[in-house]
Order: sequence, then C-alpha cells, then structure tokens
Amino acid sequence: MAHDWQADFEQLVDEHQSMVFSLALRMTGDRGLAEEIAQDVFLELDRHLSKIESAAHACFWLRRVTMSRSADALRRRRVRGLDLWVEMEDRHGSHEELPASPLGARIEQLLATLPEAQRAALVLRYQEDLTPEEIAATLQAPVATVKSHLQRGLKLLRAKAMNHLKEYVRVKEQVSGV
Amino acid sequence: MEDFERELSDALVRRPAPPSLKQGLMKRRRRSTPRPSSFFFAWKGLAASMAAVSLCILAALAVYGGIARRQAEERRQGEAARQQVLTALRITGHALNQMNTQLAAHGRTHE
Repeated sequence: MAHDWQADFEQLVDEHQSMVFSLALRMTGDRGLAEEIAQDVFLELDRHLSKIESAAHACFWLRRVTMSRSADALRRRRVRGLDLWVEMEDRHGSHEELPASPLGARIEQLLATLPEAQRAALVLRYQEDLTPEEIAATLQAPVATVKSHLQRGLKLLRAKAMNHLKEYVRVKEQVSGV
Repeated sequence: MEDFERELSDALVRRPAPPSLKQGLMKRRRRSTPRPSSFFFAWKGLAASMAAVSLCILAALAVYGGIARRQAEERRQGEAARQQVLTALRITGHALNQMNTQLAAHGRTHE
C-alpha cells in the first residue's frame, strides 16, 4: 500500500516519549527501569521504522511493544524474587512528581497494587483513553477478557480507595479529638 | 463517566519523560548505528577480498591458458611430424615403383 507518511525518528521520540515512559512507569513502578524500557522500545522502533506506515500505526506499535516489554521486565523481576512495587514503597514511601490531587496520588499508588492484567487494562483505558477493543488489540487479548479486567480492576480499585478514604476520615477525626 | 473514573483519569495523566531518556537513547542509537568510517572499512575489506579472488581466477586462467597453448603446440608439431613421415613414405614408395619399373624393363631387354 502506498503512503506519503515519512517517519522521523527524533520527532517520534519527542512526540511519544512521555506516553512510553508513563506506561512503563505505571506497569513496573521503577523510574530507572521505565527509562530503560522506553529506550529499548524506541531503539526497536528505529530498527522497524521502514515498516511503520502512519503516525497512528507508530503510536499503536509503541503502546503494544511498551506493554509487552514491561510485562517481560516484571516477569524477569518475579523470577529473581523481587516485587518492584513493594520495593518502591519500602524505599521511598511516596512517588516523585505525584499528581496534584492527594486522592489522585493515592489512587495511583493503589493502582500499583492491582494484578498486572487489571493494571494494564486500567492504565490503557484511563491514561491513554482507549476503548476496550483498542486495548484488546494492544494487549493481543480477547475483548471479553479486557472488559472483565476493566470491571474487576475498577471494582477492586474503588474498594481500596473507599477503605483508604475511611481510614483517612478516622485518622482525621482522631487528630481533631486530641 | 463516574466521579471515581474521572478521578482515575486525572490521576493517570502522562508523566513527562526525564531528559536523560532521550539523551541516553540518542547515545545508545549512535553506538548501535555503524559509523561511516567503519562502513567505508567494511567496503574496503570487501573490495580487497574481491580483488584477491579476481587475482586467483586470473592466475588459474593464465595457468590453464599456458597448458592449453602448450598442448596445441605439441599437437601442431605432432601433425607436422606425421606429415613429414607421410611425405617420406610417399617419396620412398615412388622411388620403389620407379626401381621396379626399371628392373622390369631391364629384364625384358635381356630376354
């Protein structure tokens, strides 16, 4: 198929580095590892640049490969007996550059405690604003499975957020009482 | 979209990538891309190999040509020698015929 679109590697990096880095960061919870994954993904894109047909194709390709590389990294870490998110919590207690809203910050932290498949579906749904069909294509999974991950993940996250909110109110009441 | 989902969307905004990401990426890309000089040397090596192979082929052709030329010369000399022998045999045959004719004529004269 003939196409006029010309891929410019540096331009693609400038346009998509934030997306690739954020996806890898939210999947692995490790800034250093997310940076390394993002670099690996862009180097792979550089090698496959001739096969990229459009800007939309580049974006889809980057999302798919980033999610796949992040899953590989998590698998490798699991084999080595490390839980990245637990390690991050223990080491830092909080994340750098947290969202402005305190509830938003806590939600992001709670998201990290969800199972990997649910987290992947929610990150693609709410960070990238993808439909379940687009998420299914990105993760190469059936649409029904993606919908199930979205529903369960959202339910679990809401329950965790409610618990957090109750705890927050209880602590606040205790502080006010003192 | 519910409030919670809106809150989730707000929480999951894209984070800016650290500047070190692109810097490191470009450094790694330069390392993995073959430099023009090494590209030139690769071609130079290939050209040298091709020249060596060509020389070998030329040498083989020269040797084969020499052998063929010598064989042709030998064939030509052999043919010349054969022609000389045939000529000698023809002369000898002719001489013998003449001698026989003379002997026969001499016999008839005596009778």
